[in-house]
Amino acid sequence: MTTVRLLAGICAALVVLSLGHRLPWLFAIVLLTALLALGELWLRALTGEAMPAIVRIGLATACGLVSLPLVAIGLHVAGVEIRPRAIVAGLGILVTVLGVIVLLRERAAGSPVDPRLPHTLVAVAVPGLLTLVAGFVALQAYGRLPHPPQPGYTSLALNGWATDIARPVAIPARGVHVPVRVSSAGMPTATQPLRVRVGTRLVSGRPLTVEPDATRSVDVFVPAPPDGCLHRIEISLGATSTVFYGRGPVVRGRPAC
Amino acid sequence: MTLTRPVADDRTVASTPSSPEVPATASRRAAVLCAGSLVVAGGAGAALLVAANRAAEWDTGQQFAFFWAGMLIFTLPAVFWLVRRGSGARLRVAVLTAYAGFTYLPKLLRTPDGPLYHDEFAHWRQAREILLDGRLFEQNPIVKVVGDFPGLHSSVAAVSGLTGVSIWHGALFVLILAHLLVVLGVAALAQEIWHDARIAAVATIIYSLNSSFLFFDTQFGYESLAIALLVWTLVALHRAMRGPAGRARLGWSAVTVMLSAATIATHHLTALGLLGVMLILCAVATARALRRINPRAVTWTAWGLTAAAAVLVVAYLAVVAPRTAGYLDPYLARALDQIAGMAGTGGGSRTLFRESVAPWWERYAAFGAQGFAGIAMATAAWRLRRRREGDAVSRNGALAMLVLGSLYFPAALLILTPSGAEGARRTWAFSYLGIALVVAPVVVWLLDRGRRWSGGVLLTVCAVVMVGNTAAGMNPSYRFPGPPVFGSDTRSSIPEVSAASAWLRSTQGRDLRIVADRYSGLIFGSFGGQQPVTGSVSFPTYELYLAQPGRDISPRLIEQLSSWRFTYLVVDRRMAREVPEIQIYFETNEPVPHSDRPAFTLGQLTKFDRTPWTIKIYDSGNIAIYRFDFASLQPGKASLQPGKAGR
Repeated sequence: MTTVRLLAGICAALVVLSLGHRLPWLFAIVLLTALLALGELWLRALTGEAMPAIVRIGLATACGLVSLPLVAIGLHVAGVEIRPRAIVAGLGILVTVLGVIVLLRERAAGSPVDPRLPHTLVAVAVPGLLTLVAGFVALQAYGRLPHPPQPGYTSLALNGWATDIARPVAIPARGVHVPVRVSSAGMPTATQPLRVRVGTRLVSGRPLTVEPDATRSVDVFVPAPPDGCLHRIEISLGATSTVFYGRGPVVRGRPAC
Repeated sequence: MTLTRPVADDRTVASTPSSPEVPATASRRAAVLCAGSLVVAGGAGAALLVAANRAAEWDTGQQFAFFWAGMLIFTLPAVFWLVRRGSGARLRVAVLTAYAGFTYLPKLLRTPDGPLYHDEFAHWRQAREILLDGRLFEQNPIVKVVGDFPGLHSSVAAVSGLTGVSIWHGALFVLILAHLLVVLGVAALAQEIWHDARIAAVATIIYSLNSSFLFFDTQFGYESLAIALLVWTLVALHRAMRGPAGRARLGWSAVTVMLSAATIATHHLTALGLLGVMLILCAVATARALRRINPRAVTWTAWGLTAAAAVLVVAYLAVVAPRTAGYLDPYLARALDQIAGMAGTGGGSRTLFRESVAPWWERYAAFGAQGFAGIAMATAAWRLRRRREGDAVSRNGALAMLVLGSLYFPAALLILTPSGAEGARRTWAFSYLGIALVVAPVVVWLLDRGRRWSGGVLLTVCAVVMVGNTAAGMNPSYRFPGPPVFGSDTRSSIPEVSAASAWLRSTQGRDLRIVADRYSGLIFGSFGGQQPVTGSVSFPTYELYLAQPGRDISPRLIEQLSSWRFTYLVVDRRMAREVPEIQIYFETNEPVPHSDRPAFTLGQLTKFDRTPWTIKIYDSGNIAIYRFDFASLQPGKASLQPGKAGR
């Protein structure tokens, strides 16, 4: 293929890639083609000589592939964020530079045309495609076969405003509603005791049914601790629990902690 | 307008003694037969590999038999077509491509939809960070130097960003290409040295028998791409050394330098390995030049390009990645200490296949493979001494590969030490290149000169070496799925850990500094997008877990955690119930007792339920997340007694 056609092909591929991605796997083929062509451009710019088809294909692939980190590092050095459009622009600059070098070189000597290359490319592409298809079918088959169940769990977490508890909570005399998040996965329906302890004292307890593979928020009432001292407050559901610390309202006439 | 000129017959293609022109009809018939047989074998092999994974998942114990039946049912016919005298060049290229594709299948089936191996989490995170923040060289909390070598993850991020495929599929795109490049690259390098397509094909097959080929060098890890670059750098170097003086040599030198630069930007050890191989080539070239066997230009080109690569490597490690030496040094130092210990007291060694579930025949094959490698290398050395064939560059290459291949055996010493084993495995991917390239002509010579049954014997040896090396290189939990196992990098990730990390990310955000164990750290640091620390000598966060209930935590550690803004603590209570499969809770040199009993009591891990400076915000039975509240700590007092806050 002539260098001008090669350049036109790469530019067209880069334009397609910059349009945004709607068909990821089609775009992957476009990118692969662009990288191979870019690698070929590298070879024409640097060596400009004939070589065995397998060496040409391998080196073109390697050079095309390393163009991606090369452009990314170039963008980093230039202080540009690495975004898809910036990469396309970087690849465009690289293609321009290499294209100019190749065209200048070829004005004098022409470009080597290897009649074996297309056949060797087919010899790589066809088995490559076949093994990709085999891999895809094997993955699909494996994915569709039944797999052993993963171990299940029930989780309890502070929720809503309570997720931000970072220090002892000052609890007013009327108490406070603490939202907790109950989540279950891979477990059967179960009813477990939802308990609140302030210090070592059990202040409330009720059964809570936990549905399988569901997440819900539950408000739990926590009464005010008896004094302004630091108290451990535990909300538990079966074997799981959350723990935070709180102080009750200061009552006149009682000694401070 | 661009001028075109027909290609001259390439010197390599022109001199292929054992590839006579095959008549077109016979060639076509052979191609059809080959395609048909390999499509059938590939289909059957893929089905058996799926069956192996199923057997492993359901723990039937038949996974090893299914796996190797699947591998060999494709590999052996492929080898037959590759070494067959009548196979043409294109047929060999096609079979090599199919071979590369098929040998990626075991890893693809093992990790079809996301990272699983330890380093894969680090690279996956790094690629995602690039897509999110658009920055390179960010520090990675899972493998601290990964960020300094952006070759792989920047490629993956670019593929993912440009095409819209997921990060994992972008990684597969790059890794499958890299795997194909390794296979074709070894063939191209062998052809540079031996000028024989058949020897080149055999060399590729021998290289593919190395212990890293099927699983380690196919993972989403920087060496998987770097090995391919190393091989192609050597191809370019050989062409530069051979090339006619002037522009052509300059051009190939530029390709060599560019690929060397790409290698160093991708992986530290491979860059050092490349430099080592280039130095061996230079040493051989110099020795031959001193005896006036080598043309001067060959030696000077080798030295010039090696010097350029050395400057690149040293400059990169000094300026861009100065942490690398500190990262690699402890492994080497500990390995040497352990070798010294083994020599002196017999201590510090590790037992091969200890508690492995690999079948007996895999273990015997692992030892047998080393024996075959030794015999093959001795024969290759004898043959190289007897037959001085090829031009100066070929002879240089062959002798350098003999030296490189010989380094395979000292690495066996390192495999006997806990700290050296990882490094030894990594060196095999380089040293096996030497073995492959010098043993290949011996194999072809045996096939041509040996008796009729020699082909069958060689295929059997090939099967034994493939089984043995793979068994020696990767433990079964990396190769097969199976029930969750605590303390396995690949099997300890249960949905519960992923759910905890997803909850933390959704409620508290990403990039939080958290304290975790090794296995939780992998998930929280990758999918969770957090900054986990698992402890080190200078920042011993494992002391938090080790402290007995009611005992003070070191004020210095609390001060470090507080001043470095660590906000969360993740506790995996399985540490009190199970012994980690790989005998690591946090990191390799942790001061944690290792025996057949768990190193922690439940009290040690649940003590945080009763310390006012840890608020328990999440609990799912095995996993608990605490938020640090260092302000609750009184000055000079690191912990409160259990129950005191509740009084």
